[in-house]
Amino acid sequence: MAIDLEAANITAARCRAECEDHVGSGFGRKIVLVAMMIAGVTLLVWAGVHNARERKLAMQKTVESKAALVAETAGQTDADSPENATPKLQGKIAPAFTLVDLDGKKVSLSDFKGHPVFVNFWATWCEPCKLEMPWLEDFSKKYKDQGLVMLGISTDDAGKDVVAKTAKKLGVTYPILLKDDKVEDKYGLEYMPQSFYVDKTGKVLIATAGISDGQGGKDAIEANIKKLLAESGQ
Amino acid sequence: MKTLWIGALLVGAQLGQLDAPPKAVKHRVMYVAEAQTVAAGKRSVLELRFRVDDGFHVNSHTPKSELQIPTALELGAAAGVKLTAVEYPAGKEYSFAFDPSEKLDVYSDSFVVKVPVVAAAGAHELKGELKYQACDKAACYPPRTLPVDVVFAAK
Repeated sequence: MAIDLEAANITAARCRAECEDHVGSGFGRKIVLVAMMIAGVTLLVWAGVHNARERKLAMQKTVESKAALVAETAGQTDADSPENATPKLQGKIAPAFTLVDLDGKKVSLSDFKGHPVFVNFWATWCEPCKLEMPWLEDFSKKYKDQGLVMLGISTDDAGKDVVAKTAKKLGVTYPILLKDDKVEDKYGLEYMPQSFYVDKTGKVLIATAGISDGQGGKDAIEANIKKLLAESGQ
Repeated sequence: MKTLWIGALLVGAQLGQLDAPPKAVKHRVMYVAEAQTVAAGKRSVLELRFRVDDGFHVNSHTPKSELQIPTALELGAAAGVKLTAVEYPAGKEYSFAFDPSEKLDVYSDSFVVKVPVVAAAGAHELKGELKYQACDKAACYPPRTLPVDVVFAAK
């Protein structure tokens, strides 16, 4: 698929030279234009093919590296498990979102700029999520005066009524938002629960996945909230 | 002229999109395909074995809460094969370490789903899917659909 760009450019240049005598005429200008167009189209096609080839090579490399990783970690703990999750968003600006709450009102993360925000992703079918939500309700009330904003984002496909009924049963009064098509991808969600502690500048200070004594137990969550408030000068 | 330029731009853009990798879905349950032979023209039972990844569990077909997503097998029709209701195994009781009071009904390690059939003599293939939702000891994964391809012979 080698396309000789240099030859194409030479052709265009030669054409320009040969047609110099005719430049003043409309015919000459047309020939120059056509030659330039051919060179331009050639460049575009070459760029497209080159791009496709690069993508294919990159994909092959990714597959090879994944295979190597599987071989290296065989017999060890699951590299994709929450305990081994890389906090990809930690230290980065939290992805923006505008979602609808259970009353149909639009809520954006940017609405709370200047406040520390706790963003918790959950689902009605997720038992660990439902265990920690009453804790989050407690923290929402306890640290409200210090400016903490608690947001729950449901990743359910079950529909608003089921989500609302579950939230009510759990005693949750902080805003529950319904996912859209993009928010899960933006936050790289692969499991529930996942929480993002967003500081007042909009940066993710801490990201946690799953629930365990080491990572997401009640005391650990409160310690992280205190850190978030301290970092936010609250 | 304008049309030529637009066409060239589109060709370049399309070529750039070729081979875009599809989003991979990681399954926590695997179908262990086994060669099976049943008696032709008689009620027989196919046994479909599924293996759950170590450290994971999936809800049984009859979870204790209506909010939990049950494991369910759906098989499509196939010529020469009469299917009746799928039979699921009983689940095992399980509790997360962080909430021992909440009892769940789950499958872990491996489980067998039985499929009663009456098949005409010959080779058959049943295509279907297993719907499940898996958790490990600390987190839960979104519901997944595992393709299942059951090949068997009736003699």
